[in-house]
Amino acid sequence: MISFQLLFPISILAGFVGAMAGMGGGVVIIPVLTLLGVDIKHAIAISILSVIATSSGSASAYVRDHITNLKVGMFLEMFTIVGALAGAKITLAISPRPLYIVFGLVLLSSWLALLFTRHAMWHTGAQDSFTRWLELEGSYPDQALGETVYYKARNAYFGAPLMFGAGVIAGLLGIGAGAVKVLIHDLVMGLPPKVSTTTSNMIIGVTALAGASVYLVAGLIRPQLAAPVILGIALGAFLGTRLLVRMTNQAVRRFFLFILLILAVEMLIRGFRGAL
Amino acid sequence: MTDSPRIGAASGPARKQRLEFDMDLLVGYILLIGVLLSLALVLAALIWKWILTRTVDFDYQLSGMNFIQLLTSELRLAATGALRPRLLLTLGILMLMLTPFLRVLVSMAYFLVGLRNWKYTLFTAFVLVTLIYSLCLR
Repeated sequence: MISFQLLFPISILAGFVGAMAGMGGGVVIIPVLTLLGVDIKHAIAISILSVIATSSGSASAYVRDHITNLKVGMFLEMFTIVGALAGAKITLAISPRPLYIVFGLVLLSSWLALLFTRHAMWHTGAQDSFTRWLELEGSYPDQALGETVYYKARNAYFGAPLMFGAGVIAGLLGIGAGAVKVLIHDLVMGLPPKVSTTTSNMIIGVTALAGASVYLVAGLIRPQLAAPVILGIALGAFLGTRLLVRMTNQAVRRFFLFILLILAVEMLIRGFRGAL
Repeated sequence: MTDSPRIGAASGPARKQRLEFDMDLLVGYILLIGVLLSLALVLAALIWKWILTRTVDFDYQLSGMNFIQLLTSELRLAATGALRPRLLLTLGILMLMLTPFLRVLVSMAYFLVGLRNWKYTLFTAFVLVTLIYSLCLR
């Protein structure tokens, strides 16, 4: 059994690294917990609980700033929570090895997405009739521009099933899968970057709850691990986010992205070798 | 940055605009207070445990119970006055899980009563029913 004195500082670090790299703490804490000898399914269960804390914590600020789009969030949550329930059930049923491999692959592709996506020029496009029927549009006060930005989403019929897939990943691996969700919002549904990040944050909390309930009933949530991990990740993410908004140096961010790359490769190797 | 967004003063009926903004504040505070309360419960459990036993390691399991069963059994324990550090820790975990649920509940009330938007009341109800199902899983 890992002691609190070890797990608490590690969780603070995980939350901090996750936030600095632009992802959640889950992608860091799961590989670290498994390295410390925790079974991957227990690690996933604890991680998804901490995801509720970090996503809800940061979502609260964005919602109050009127950037989050409640309707987009509510519509897409219908798909992500069903996906998360399915994903968590799959995790309970399968052997650990494929989990390592899928985790490595998801982390690697999120890493590539974070590295290579230049913030493409966002522009309002033509809205299809289904998305218009769903009333997926809105406005938010952009503090950098000093103006209110109006936008209309599109392709909801395509975004919805993709979000189901993002929900499956979240439930399966116990992570927020924010990078996947933001990609769908940005590229498929044409939401402005700020709206897509903050709305994804809100969706992540509810999605994680659906997954966490499955793990709770399965008895995979160990209070011994939950206490230091939830507190540590929340604290680390809070510090990381505070520092990130002030940071202009890209080299520091690349360093944290590099840590994520190592974790992804390490998970893949363990999955393929079978030395768990 | 934006290419050619329509930029200008906020439009739409003033009442609806104000309601939406109030809603954002309410949702934001529900999330904030829920998370802070849950973290405070976990922290209190740890401090209490440490005062009693000079260790912060909890060695109990939460096996085989869903959210509702766990909540009722813990509340029953609390009602008998059997307050223990582990009760606070379990309540902290449950409070964390309750936070997004409350957000959805309030959103549904808002779409139903505030906006009278049947479409979104239905969508939110679907999310709520799915969450209730997941909290009652066996």
